[in-house]
Amino acid sequence: MKSNQINSKRELALELLKPGDDSKLLTSLNSCVRCGLCADSCMFYKAFKEAKFIPSAKVDLVSSIYRRYYTATGKIAPRLFGAKELDDKMEESMVDLLFGACTMCGRCVKHCSIGVDIPYVVRRGREMLAVMNMVPQSLQSTVDAAINTGNNMAIPEDEFVDTIKWMEEELIDEMGDENARIPLNEFDKEIFYTLNPREPKFFPLSISAIAKVFYAAGESWTLSSKFYDVTNYGFFNGNKVEAAQIAGYLYDEIKHLRGKRLILGECGHGSRAHRWEGPNYLKKTYDFDNITVVELIGEYIRSGRIKLDKSLVKEKHTIHDPCNLVRNGGLMKEIRFVVNSSVSEVIEMSPYGEDNFCCGGGGGALAMSEYNDRRLKIGEIKANQIKATGAKVVITPCHNCVDQLLQINHTYKLGVTIKTIAEVVADSLVISK
Amino acid sequence: MEWFNYLAIFTAAICFTTFLYRLIYLLSLGLPKDLSKETGSVKRGIIYSFTGAMSPMEKESAFLHLPTYAAGMLYHVGIFSSLLFFVWVIVTLFVPITLPSLVSIGLVILLSLSSLAGFSILIKRVISKELRYLSCADDYISNFLTTISQVAAILYILVPGSQVIYFIIMALLFTWMPLGKTRHLLYFFFARIHLGFFYGRRGAWPTVNKS
Repeated sequence: MKSNQINSKRELALELLKPGDDSKLLTSLNSCVRCGLCADSCMFYKAFKEAKFIPSAKVDLVSSIYRRYYTATGKIAPRLFGAKELDDKMEESMVDLLFGACTMCGRCVKHCSIGVDIPYVVRRGREMLAVMNMVPQSLQSTVDAAINTGNNMAIPEDEFVDTIKWMEEELIDEMGDENARIPLNEFDKEIFYTLNPREPKFFPLSISAIAKVFYAAGESWTLSSKFYDVTNYGFFNGNKVEAAQIAGYLYDEIKHLRGKRLILGECGHGSRAHRWEGPNYLKKTYDFDNITVVELIGEYIRSGRIKLDKSLVKEKHTIHDPCNLVRNGGLMKEIRFVVNSSVSEVIEMSPYGEDNFCCGGGGGALAMSEYNDRRLKIGEIKANQIKATGAKVVITPCHNCVDQLLQINHTYKLGVTIKTIAEVVADSLVISK
Repeated sequence: MEWFNYLAIFTAAICFTTFLYRLIYLLSLGLPKDLSKETGSVKRGIIYSFTGAMSPMEKESAFLHLPTYAAGMLYHVGIFSSLLFFVWVIVTLFVPITLPSLVSIGLVILLSLSSLAGFSILIKRVISKELRYLSCADDYISNFLTTISQVAAILYILVPGSQVIYFIIMALLFTWMPLGKTRHLLYFFFARIHLGFFYGRRGAWPTVNKS
């Protein structure tokens, strides 16, 4: 009976590798030549120097199964063509390497001699594990919390409302204006803003920072007290149904509140999951604007809706580029425009931009406590990058990155401050009374 | 024509037809359907994918591994040259023409260098612990066959009477090409198109000039 259940789950997983009409999948599974030149572009290989961490080896986990079940050569002569069974041992390796040793940052893709979309293959491998109920429990719990409560930290609505009211009082005091607001659940606003639940839970001052920016811009905006979570860990656990459900929460809420623009808060994967993947999860085009807060602030600066005085922020800053916003989101230039408008001195890491290293917390790694040691070990690369800049402040428009950078800061004794973009913009705001 | 000529032509035809079928199939699938709102340009992304993004200065796989990269480039130039040479050889079976001696000498030099490059890549795969971990029999066979086919082409030009060896080796290569990892000959181009599509529509490619 149990054996039948395992087999039927494996059959479902194998269905996901069926060539069908997915040109990208077919291409990705047939392109890798196992030259191994991607090794030095992967943080896991650089940190551990073990062959199993080479991106090509991760691709091969999935493509070897494809060859075994969907190619004549793999069926006839599996050893000759490196075709492998989907069995217990393979599943164990897939969980360990596709969940536990890949942040899907995509750095290897750019440097691959062929151009194999390695995270795409890794994600397909994760999808296979998801249908076999083999997602690491810690990651699945995060998704479950988002599905069941509307936010991945399961923050009760009244607790969230209290935090927002508290931040509103702070804003009123700071602005010296009784009319300063952090609106909740208001209808027909221009901006429907979203947050990473880490903000109300651990970093409420980042909410007051963006509220200050909106105040200065005279923006018409609102938050929802129920569905404000910009994250979507369904993007990482490989369960497209759950990813679609989470994407649907924000879609339905902006429709409900009749917002005009969905502004994605400072979260790399969340921005990607809602902006680029969301319409595909939900199988519909969005009839409202769907952009990141970095781009919105860029608009404010260009149009003169907010005035910044970068001489107010004098420390040496550096930028950590979130993979999903820069390499996979095209926002490198926009992030620099906003940061350079806000602070006096910026020194780039080496490398930076689309070549930048992941902080180590991507791909759901922050949620997977099983792999904490690995996550902190690969974070040493980022720590060394930061140290080399001599910067006192690291700016990053992603709360997941903030969390990982805070841990790196502590572990590797960097002595830096980590800030979001809204925070540095708020620090340099010139508010005319 | 001799039996070995027929054998090579037959296997080449099968190989070509297989690749053509796969090409038509992949083309028929088209680009991915993406419902998100494009902010960049797919066209510019795809062009960049085949140009700037392929620059050795843009790829760690190239600039961190210059000897391997140079060997790989030379090897691939040799492969395409030897395939073109095969077409020429087949034509000469029907039309009595000879290769100008300067071209022959140039080809021998090129194929000698590319064969050396091919063997060096094969040796690297054998001695490197990491590459052995990644490799299966196909990796060694594909590399060996494509390299030895270039050596056979040199023999064909320089050693009268080496025709049988040349045509048999080419027949083996054509048989293996659609089966082994050598099929990346076709998939490479689609991989670049998909990358250009993905990064182009998000405005991530072409990349911003950092200087």
